[in-house]
Amino acid sequence: MRPSRGMIAVFLLPAVALYTVFVLIPALSAFGYSFTDFTGVTRPRWIGLENFTELADTGSDFTAALLNNLFIILVPGTATLLVALAFAFFIDQQLHGSRLFRVVFFFPNILPLAATAALWILVFSATDIGAVNRVLRAMGFAPAQFMSSANLLRSLVPILVWGGAGFYMILFLAAMSSIPSTLYEAARMDGAGLWHQFRHVTLPLLRDTIAMCLIFTIIGGLKFFDLIWIFEKQHPTRDSHVVATLIYSMAFNQYRSGYGAAMSIVQFVLILAVTLVSLKLFRKERLEY
Amino acid sequence: MTRWTLVGTLVLGLIALVAGLAWLLHRRRGHTRGEALVRSAGYVLLWTHCLLVVTPFLWVILTSLKPSREILASPFSVPRVLREPTAASWRQTADNYATAWTKSHFRSYFANSVKISACTVVLTVGIAAMAAYVLARFEFFGRKLLYLLFLAGMMFPAQLILVPLFFQFSWMSDQLSAVTLAVTRALGIGPYRVQMHNSHLTLILLYTAVSLPFSVFVLTNFMRTIPSELREAALIDGATEWQAFWRVMLPMARPGLVSVAIFNFLGVWNEYLYALVFLDEEAMRTLPLGLASVSILADYKSDYGLMFAGLVITVLPILAAYLFLQRHLTRGVTLGALKG
Repeated sequence: MRPSRGMIAVFLLPAVALYTVFVLIPALSAFGYSFTDFTGVTRPRWIGLENFTELADTGSDFTAALLNNLFIILVPGTATLLVALAFAFFIDQQLHGSRLFRVVFFFPNILPLAATAALWILVFSATDIGAVNRVLRAMGFAPAQFMSSANLLRSLVPILVWGGAGFYMILFLAAMSSIPSTLYEAARMDGAGLWHQFRHVTLPLLRDTIAMCLIFTIIGGLKFFDLIWIFEKQHPTRDSHVVATLIYSMAFNQYRSGYGAAMSIVQFVLILAVTLVSLKLFRKERLEY
Repeated sequence: MTRWTLVGTLVLGLIALVAGLAWLLHRRRGHTRGEALVRSAGYVLLWTHCLLVVTPFLWVILTSLKPSREILASPFSVPRVLREPTAASWRQTADNYATAWTKSHFRSYFANSVKISACTVVLTVGIAAMAAYVLARFEFFGRKLLYLLFLAGMMFPAQLILVPLFFQFSWMSDQLSAVTLAVTRALGIGPYRVQMHNSHLTLILLYTAVSLPFSVFVLTNFMRTIPSELREAALIDGATEWQAFWRVMLPMARPGLVSVAIFNFLGVWNEYLYALVFLDEEAMRTLPLGLASVSILADYKSDYGLMFAGLVITVLPILAAYLFLQRHLTRGVTLGALKG
């Protein structure tokens, strides 16, 4: 029984209309703006590729911000994955309290980043309420400015591990639980200890999951915004700007919307590239339509 | 000084005790040395992280019971209300929350967040389910292209659409106002202008639009698993297309709808960037925005009582929902992982 054309149109219309007005048109105009000197106030003037040559300069604010994104992906990002893998490995050993650990470790992942930020501002505070500095002082160290621009990226390492490990741990655990126990039994028969079982049975079978998690880490690192914006009280410096915060400052604080749009195009292209690579990697399971 | 050394020693001692006990127990149960070592190390690591997650929240809840002056004087002691619960100290504690709730607008933030999240979720699930049903079940010209267009939206960073959208909203406000002004004037009622900035309705529509790619993706895959004979049977029984969708297909897709709803609710409830750009007025803001502005100001004003209370008001409902819906949430968010 074929449905009428009218019925198909009616069912699609709300989604297509909203999506076109609020997503597709703005995304397309971002491409347009990126070739102009649009300030947000004056009429945009076509300047060709000038914005892109400016941001591609090795000394540009954009390059500095992109390097900070790279740091976030490489250091806190990798650390989160390693910690999550360790958690998953131990929980998979059927330790007592596994359920409690799952529930507790996952909780920071569903907090609004504004709450995570508020919590860590208090914990890392340089005033008397900062618990970490209290401990440092009690041990005879000088208190540290964890939240200063220069130190912020390094301070993000514990914050991001704390906030993200539970999520990746759940993904790893799901993958681990689908490994047949006969494989482990066979390995034990051959005299493999826990480490060898992990190294030669678990890790190889987790390869796809790990690759997927790496891709999430890279894309999340490229989109990173909220924490830096709040920690820096909406005014990041060159030390702490990432691409997303820089676009915001350009477009809404420094009247360089055209330049900001060009940056967002580059950000999008990077995400697109990572996604296409990942689609190629996972072609077997996904992309069916 | 001494107190902190004491606390440190206690914590380290406790960890050593756990490790030692675990080791002994495992050895007695006949585990090999290596296994006992690994499992003891596991207990130490997992319990330490457990403490690291739970302690900050306990501290925040306890500290939120102190007035700002007490927080600055002794941020790590047991609150005075709990040590000597007099009427006066209770009133001071209540003041923290009263200030946050009314004077600092947390009541409005809360109401706004509930309203915006609820409307977005209902709208998203409804609209996405309709589109997904058609995309999954029927063959028509441009179906693949349309589906790919929706999928592409999952890759757009917020910044890409944010900057143009800001100016597009100004333009749309002018165009729509021209229409509404003409209509209201013709009808002889007060002039009515459309303002797309600083409007909850705009934000709801925007959130719905940006939630569509992921929701359409998940629901299309879900709808494919429902046998199409069901629709035909319903039509033969005299149902209209709409009834076949509403009464037959939607109930079958319920697990998928629930996951999508939970995932979107969480995303909107926690969303910061779009709200930051499109809500200017204090009383219009959402919880994440309100909490962020309180945190940003707390250092200047040394008004930490407000920040602690605000944090509790933001986190407690999430904690409650989490404990209730823990399984659903883990599944919904793991599903959301596909979004990347």
